Amino acid sequence: MRRILDACYEGAAWIAALLMIALLGLVVASIASRLVGINLPGLDAYAGYCLAGASFLALASTFVHGGHIRVELLLGRLPAGARIWAERVCLLVALTIVAAFAWVSVQLCWTSYEIHDLSVGDDATPLWIPQLGMALGTLVFLLAVIDRLVQSFTAPATTGAVEAHFTE
Amino acid sequence: MDAFAAVMLLVLMFALLGSGVWIGLSLMGVAWIGMELFTARPVGDAMAVSIWGGLSGWTLTALPLFVWMGEILFRTKLSEDMFKGLAPWLGRLPGGLIHTNVVGCTIFAAVSGSSAATCATIGKMTLPELTRRGYPDKITIGSLAGAGTLGLLIPPSIIMIVYGVTADASIARLFIAGVVPGLLLALLFSGYVALWSLRNRDALPPHEAAPSLGERLRASRHLLPVVTLIVLVLCSIYFGIATATEAAALGVVGALGVAAAQRTLSWRNFRDSLLGATRLYCMIALILAGSAFLTMAMGYIGLPRHLAQWIAGLGLSTWQLILALTAFYIVLGCFLDGISMVVLTVSFVMPTILAAGIDPIWFGIYLVIVVEMAQVTPPVGFNLFVLQGMTGRDMLWIAHAALPFFCLMAALVVVLYAFPGLITWLPSQMGFSG
Repeated sequence: MRRILDACYEGAAWIAALLMIALLGLVVASIASRLVGINLPGLDAYAGYCLAGASFLALASTFVHGGHIRVELLLGRLPAGARIWAERVCLLVALTIVAAFAWVSVQLCWTSYEIHDLSVGDDATPLWIPQLGMALGTLVFLLAVIDRLVQSFTAPATTGAVEAHFTE
Repeated sequence: MDAFAAVMLLVLMFALLGSGVWIGLSLMGVAWIGMELFTARPVGDAMAVSIWGGLSGWTLTALPLFVWMGEILFRTKLSEDMFKGLAPWLGRLPGGLIHTNVVGCTIFAAVSGSSAATCATIGKMTLPELTRRGYPDKITIGSLAGAGTLGLLIPPSIIMIVYGVTADASIARLFIAGVVPGLLLALLFSGYVALWSLRNRDALPPHEAAPSLGERLRASRHLLPVVTLIVLVLCSIYFGIATATEAAALGVVGALGVAAAQRTLSWRNFRDSLLGATRLYCMIALILAGSAFLTMAMGYIGLPRHLAQWIAGLGLSTWQLILALTAFYIVLGCFLDGISMVVLTVSFVMPTILAAGIDPIWFGIYLVIVVEMAQVTPPVGFNLFVLQGMTGRDMLWIAHAALPFFCLMAALVVVLYAFPGLITWLPSQMGFSG
């Protein structure tokens, strides 16, 4: 079970990583096509879809690796026992919000499919295709949060790892 | 009613953030409850549409690419090369090799969009080298913490992209606007290091024998890779050849080229940089998702508009407004990271800024400097985290070492307020108006 779950998170992250490469390829292609004077419409929109797909599909893996930031000021100062409970409350709040996030994402994708919603740009892509990444990514994210909440009861010591951030 | 809504949502926001709920999710929670209580619109639709729209936009594509470029360069020998190229030139200045921190960060900032990455990449080389030569820890670490923040002000800059997307300002213009203030700040830092060294001559190791001009020029070849990258990224934006996104893609390709030339481009390094960049970007994306939803919710509730009217009613002059905002941001910066600071406040503050007749580009640069100050204020400051990890020193000690540099940034805000042309002149000379 553990291995299946981890494979889910990492698999989604790898798709996200491939979408990053695709994003790079699309931008390079748009530069190259402009240099040789060919007009390839819709590349910008495709780059945007890759970006969105990459962001949503990596959510779970980033969460599992402790990559999403939070304010740990108070949390870190609690005594060990209280900290475990505070962590559970945090995860429960997160679970509620992520569940809503996943629900509306699936709904958006489904609605786009039902009404054959097309992109208004040059690409005229059926929007449910890129939105599938949003639906799947948020569902895997929900799975990861549930997983972590369960773990906080069965093996509470493993939670709370902090990673170094190089973002800013 | 409005005051009640504002206070309630503010309390809710701080309760969620303070209790340790992930920042992006906290924003979504506040937006959801705010819309449910104070509007009659369907909340789910607003959430899905705002988040999808916020994260699938073309303007945002520059962000993950610059993050990726930084991740690749962090894994190359670039910092080692830069130290080799810079040390022969800087050794004779008052303050000696401490200047490699400031100049190194300034140059690296021109290929990196982040303060913590700049700090970590340059420090990886300068910290052990300077310690080995007997430079005092306090000025070495303090100057690195301060100069690392230049990563935000000197383009490319992740925080500028975030501001540009949230405030709907031109990212290319913001980038170019950051150049002059960034160089000015670097000059202030170097000047301080020189002054400090003249007053504390006994604490410093003696100057090393100066290499001949020929040796110095030969050593400069090590700077070639980083200079090529700067030309590729910044000049292409300035002369209007590339948009910010295209420059970022060129930067990634260039960084991979540098790594290949240095024979550091292993499969392992490539995979680590790619997955690292994907996760780092994802972390930012979750905050942006929360912010997109919150901004839409606040727009429906009408809070920012009312806030702007209320502040306008106070009759503050522009400098009083900026002073109040600076105080507010310094306090906020103690507890929040830069990106959250920007996305949380911009949608509220923007109407007020526009009503006061402040140029959005000027305000963007101002905001970047205040965020830089936040990088070195405890208890939450990313440069402090990075240096704590690298040196094992206590965070308060590092913050104290960085205090003079914090004050210099505050001084820069005053200078830029007095001479706004330092920000606005260079972008007005650009190759195109994007």
